[in-house]
Amino acid sequence: MSSFARWRASRAPWAGLRFVVILVYIFSLGPILITAAVSFNSGNRSFFPPRGLSFRWWERAFTAEWLGPLWFSIKLGSLTALIATLLALPMAFALHRYRFRGRDALVAMTLGPLMLPSLVTGVGLLQLFELLGLREYVGFTALLVGHAVICMPFAVRTVAISLSTLPPNMELAAASLGATRWATLRYIVLPLVKTGVIAGAVFAFIHSFTDVNLSIFLARPGEIPITVKILGFLEFGFAPTLAAVAVITLLLPLVLVAIVERVSGLGDFIYGDRR
Amino acid sequence: MGRPFGGPVPDPALRLSRIEKRYGGTVAVAGIDLDVADGEFVTLLGPSGCGKTTTLGLIAGFFPPTSGEIYLKGKPVADLPSFRRDIGVVFQDYALFPHMTVAQNVAFGLRMRKVGASETATRVNQALDLVKLGGFGDRRPLQMSGGQRQRVALARALVINPAVLLLDEPLSNLDLKLREEMRVEIVSIQRRLGITTVFVTHDQGEALVMSDRIAVMNHGRIEQIGDPASIYEAPATRFVAEFIGRMNLLSGTVMPDRAVRIGDTTFAMEVPADIASGAAVHVAIRPERARLTDEHPADGIALPGIVRQVFYLGATREVHVDLPNGERGFVQLHNEGSDAVVATGSAVWLSSSAANCRVLPA
Repeated sequence: MSSFARWRASRAPWAGLRFVVILVYIFSLGPILITAAVSFNSGNRSFFPPRGLSFRWWERAFTAEWLGPLWFSIKLGSLTALIATLLALPMAFALHRYRFRGRDALVAMTLGPLMLPSLVTGVGLLQLFELLGLREYVGFTALLVGHAVICMPFAVRTVAISLSTLPPNMELAAASLGATRWATLRYIVLPLVKTGVIAGAVFAFIHSFTDVNLSIFLARPGEIPITVKILGFLEFGFAPTLAAVAVITLLLPLVLVAIVERVSGLGDFIYGDRR
Repeated sequence: MGRPFGGPVPDPALRLSRIEKRYGGTVAVAGIDLDVADGEFVTLLGPSGCGKTTTLGLIAGFFPPTSGEIYLKGKPVADLPSFRRDIGVVFQDYALFPHMTVAQNVAFGLRMRKVGASETATRVNQALDLVKLGGFGDRRPLQMSGGQRQRVALARALVINPAVLLLDEPLSNLDLKLREEMRVEIVSIQRRLGITTVFVTHDQGEALVMSDRIAVMNHGRIEQIGDPASIYEAPATRFVAEFIGRMNLLSGTVMPDRAVRIGDTTFAMEVPADIASGAAVHVAIRPERARLTDEHPADGIALPGIVRQVFYLGATREVHVDLPNGERGFVQLHNEGSDAVVATGSAVWLSSSAANCRVLPA
C-alpha cells in the first residue's frame, strides 16, 4: 500500500474534513446567532451577550418605518420572480432545444449578469433611464427591470437543468397520441419541469430580496427595498432594532425555501416524481 | 382481402412511396417502397444504422421525409404532423409519462381526442384488461417492472384504435424469458384486434416468430421482403443470408454450362437467371441442412474436409470442418441421444442435396 493510500484509508482526512465543516458552520451561523441575540438587549447599546431581556427593539422593528420597505421588497421580489421566470421559460427552451446562430451570444447575455458585478448593472441602468428621459421611473419600475435582469440567469439555469433531465421521447409520445405542441407543453413538458421552474422562481425571489448592490442606485425616497433601508440606517450606527430587522429579513427567505422544499422538493430536478 | 366482385384494388393500410430521408450528406433512408395490408404485421429488420427506426419515425411523423410520400388508408400524410396522423407508437424505452398514473397515461390519447369521461374510463379499463393489467390503473409507471411498463405502453398506443400500430424495438429492454413471452402476447393481441402493425427490430428470431412479412433492411434500403419462410429459405442476397439465421457460404464460379464450380469440383445446381456465366458466386447452405458422412454421398454436392472443432450446444452439436479451398463449413447435427460423436481431426464429407443450395451473387 502506498503511503498516500494508507493516508486515505486512515481517519486523518475525515477528521480534517470534519474540522473544516465545523469552521464553516461557525462562521456562517455564528454572526446570525449573535445578531439574533443582540436584538433582545434591554439597553440602548448592542451588547453581546445581551444584557437583560426585552422585546422593545422587536416592537420598533414592527412599525411602518421598517414594515414599509419590507413589504416593498416582498412585492418587488415576487414580481421579479414572476417576470424572470416567465422570460426564462422560453429562453431555456430555445437554448436547450435548438442550435442556432447567435446561440452562444444569447447564452452569454443571459448568464452574463451572474458574472458581472450587479453594481455595474445598477449604475448602467440608472444612466440608461436618465438617457432615455425616464427619470421618473427610477424607483419601483427601474428596480423591477434591474432585478429581472440579474435574477433571470438563476431561473434560466434551473429550467434548463430540468429540461435536460426530461426523459427521452416524452414529446414524441405525446404527439403520437394526438397532442398538439401546445397540449404537449401544457400537459407533459411543464408538469415535468415544474420543480425547476419553482426553484428558479424561488432563487430569483431570494436574489432580488437580498440584493443591495443594484438597488442602492435605483431606489428613491418612498420606494426603498429593505436592504437599502438597512444600509442607510447603518450610517447612524448599529442599533438593536437593526438586529431585529436583520433577523426578519433573514427568516423570510429561509421560511420560503423550507415551504417550497416541503411542497415540491427543490433540490431534486430529476424526472417528475421523487423516488 | 379477396375481391370477389372484381372492384377497385383497395388502398393498403399503409403505403410508403419512394421515401427518402437525408441528414446533410448522410442518407438514412435511401428510397423505400412498402405496402402494408390491412391487419398485416410487417417487421423492419436490420442491423443498427440500417434506417429501420428512421423509417418508423417517418411513418409516425416525427420528422418529414426528404422526398417521397406516405399514405395512411390511401390519404397522403407526409405533410401532416404526428398529432394529426392516426397512429399508435410503442417506444423502446416505453416513454411513459412519469407524472401520471397508469390510467392517466392510457387515457392521454383519448383526452387529446376529447372523449367523454365515462367512455374514457370504459376504454381505459378495456385496454388495461387486454394487456392483463386490470386493477393497475392507480400505479405510477416508476413503481412498475419493465415488463409491466411495456404493457402500459402497448395499452396506451392501442386504446386510441390507431390505423397503424408502430413498435420500435419494444422488447429489447426485457430479459430473455419475458421477451419470449411478450413476443407471443403482442402477436396474439395484434391478431385479435386485427390491427395493422409495423414492428422494428434487429432480432431475427423475433422477426421470424412474429411477422406476416419481414422487410430486411440494409444501408437505408429494403434488401428483401417476404414472409418469414421465404426470407429464411430463399435469401436473395448474401446480406440477408447471413443476417437471418446462420449460413455456410462457399465461394464458387458459374461455369458456361450453368453448373457451379467449388474448389476443383463442379456441381449441378440451380443458378438464378440474372447471374451471368463466369460470375463469382456464393453457394449458401443452411448448417441444419448440411450433412456429414464418412463415405462420398451418392448425389448432391460433397466437399472433403477435416473436422476442426465440435461444439456441444445441448439440442444440437455444431461441427466445424476445414475445406480444401481454405474455407470453413459447419454443420448442425441434432442431438438424438446416440454417442456417435464426430472426432476432431477425422476426414469427412460435407454434403448437401442440390435443392438445399442457394446460389447468391458474390
